[in-house]
Amino acid sequence: MQTLRVALAQVAPRLGALDANLATHHARLAEARDGGADLVVFPELGLTGYQLQDLAAEVAMRLDDRRLAELAAATRGLSAIVSFVEESGDHRLFIAAALIEDGEIRHVHRKLFLPTYGLFDERRFFAPGDVLRAVPSRLGFGLGIGICEDFWHLPVPQVLALDGAQVLVNVSSSPGRDLAATNEVGLGTATSWRTLMRTYAQLTTSFVVFCNRVGVDESISFWGGSEVIDPTGQAVFSAPLHDEGLFLVDIAPADIRRERIALPLLRDERPEWNLRELRRIVAERAGLAGDATADPGAEAGLDVTPAEAPSEPIGFDAHRGRATRPMDKGA
Amino acid sequence: MAADQAAIAGDTAAAPFELPSELAIDTDVARRVIGGFIRGQLEQAGFDRAVLGLSGGIDSALVAYLVAEAIGAERLLAVLMPYRTSSPSSQADAESVVADLGCASELVEITAMVDGYFGADGSGGASGGASRPSGPEAEPASALRRGNFAARMRMAVLYDRSVTWSGLVVGTGNKTESLIGYTTLFGDSACAFNPIGDLYKSQVRQLALAIGVPDAIVRKAPSADLWPGQTDETEGGFSYPLLDRILFWRVDKRRSLEEMVDLGFDAATVERVDRMVATSEFKRQVPPIAKLGPRTAGVDYLYPRRRPGSARG
Repeated sequence: MQTLRVALAQVAPRLGALDANLATHHARLAEARDGGADLVVFPELGLTGYQLQDLAAEVAMRLDDRRLAELAAATRGLSAIVSFVEESGDHRLFIAAALIEDGEIRHVHRKLFLPTYGLFDERRFFAPGDVLRAVPSRLGFGLGIGICEDFWHLPVPQVLALDGAQVLVNVSSSPGRDLAATNEVGLGTATSWRTLMRTYAQLTTSFVVFCNRVGVDESISFWGGSEVIDPTGQAVFSAPLHDEGLFLVDIAPADIRRERIALPLLRDERPEWNLRELRRIVAERAGLAGDATADPGAEAGLDVTPAEAPSEPIGFDAHRGRATRPMDKGA
Repeated sequence: MAADQAAIAGDTAAAPFELPSELAIDTDVARRVIGGFIRGQLEQAGFDRAVLGLSGGIDSALVAYLVAEAIGAERLLAVLMPYRTSSPSSQADAESVVADLGCASELVEITAMVDGYFGADGSGGASGGASRPSGPEAEPASALRRGNFAARMRMAVLYDRSVTWSGLVVGTGNKTESLIGYTTLFGDSACAFNPIGDLYKSQVRQLALAIGVPDAIVRKAPSADLWPGQTDETEGGFSYPLLDRILFWRVDKRRSLEEMVDLGFDAATVERVDRMVATSEFKRQVPPIAKLGPRTAGVDYLYPRRRPGSARG
């Protein structure tokens, strides 16, 4: 039976040290090749480290950068996903993950969702990407690539699966936090991620490959725990927390077909219906249509009328353009 | 309700302290994360050794064990810095840690440094004659002034030993004392990095028990040891488990005052803790620089502390 060997490169990048991290990538690529890997996955910003702040501009690379070409040249007969700071022609900086195969950059995903809350400050330093695409790979599968926070937004794995991805890949720099003893594996972050990845695998009936870094940037410790989840939502492999290493995992692509026939969730998805409802919601939120399901007098974005609704400033009338009476929820 | 439950650490009736259940951590994960943090901080700064002040209390003892576990006891220098009024039992407890770990240690009495400034009787001007001080140092020194001064002398010793030992100064302050401001600015809170600054006192105790800090140190009442019989809890008027729980729900879990009362806390007590947190905000932050130029450190010049080239050559 055909198998695909995935190599999870759970590395500890050195902050801002592009050359040292490039060397690590070359070494791990060679190690993965020797191990018979078909696809090698490196974590988010594996080439630069995470907590860059103003260093971001100093380690940024254009897609025609010689160093990326050299990395691509190391992928003959191999597929790899590597992540770095990409500088566009108009000098925006993106957190990017590139699929490199057979010596070429085949696809670049720019991180869509930049967390800027809590311990995160990404939007200050980076521009968000606008495009999400599943891409074909030399492996014979559609790949869907997301970066860390991208997978904390429900539509991302769904859109990737609908677009043809059979293997969803999330590359992350997830800071470990919340050590409460009640958490699975003793770390709240790990508990959340493990739940999400299993859920996405099951709901999209796809493999999910999660590659998270280890090591320390400033105050933050990254917890590793990279995983491969099969299309039934079961973990095929879970890397140790906190340990650096290259982990080889064999997956059986036949599992995708079997699960999608046994549990045809993806067949039954109704994107045209998604689209209709989303169009309605977008128009309502923009004040271009009345909220068809809100109580009369409800504030925009909130369907229920509060006991004492604040008056809304000009331009924020949720009911402007309302064509019909609100639905009677009591009926 | 979780906040009303309290678990006792350990499984026997001889449990050495109360551990509120919501504060319990996975100590294996904590040791793993902290070990990696200590190694990462040292390596990124170009150091492979560490130095810390060992008081005989649980905080510095725990950090000594964590550092020894992370990099080996042979790379740790523990400096014992008693003042003449410090409890002999504190020094004995510190020595038991040194003996158990087998780390290097030094005894540096700070009595001469402190008394040289305030005078041996604490009233200042003990030396008399032409050198007799006439400024504030000639005034009878309050316990606060003496305690702060002693903490800053210890800091000065540690940063000097940082050079002689070629190691980074490791902080030993916990989250509870930092949040309520029970620290001396540029004194005990001064360090190159702090492995336990995000652990409440109850969690420090839990981790200390797990890592093997001597029982006598885990069990004894926490004290700044500024005068005989002083304890943190009598001085502050709080038990640590209560204080930790208030801080945890208020700070980490963002509960409002009303919600705190619903959780069973006394409103006046919560408000008192709130005031301590607010009035000590300045101690937890880098001093502000007047913004004048195009790019100002900490404002719009934002580089990681450990950027390329920052490590000691």
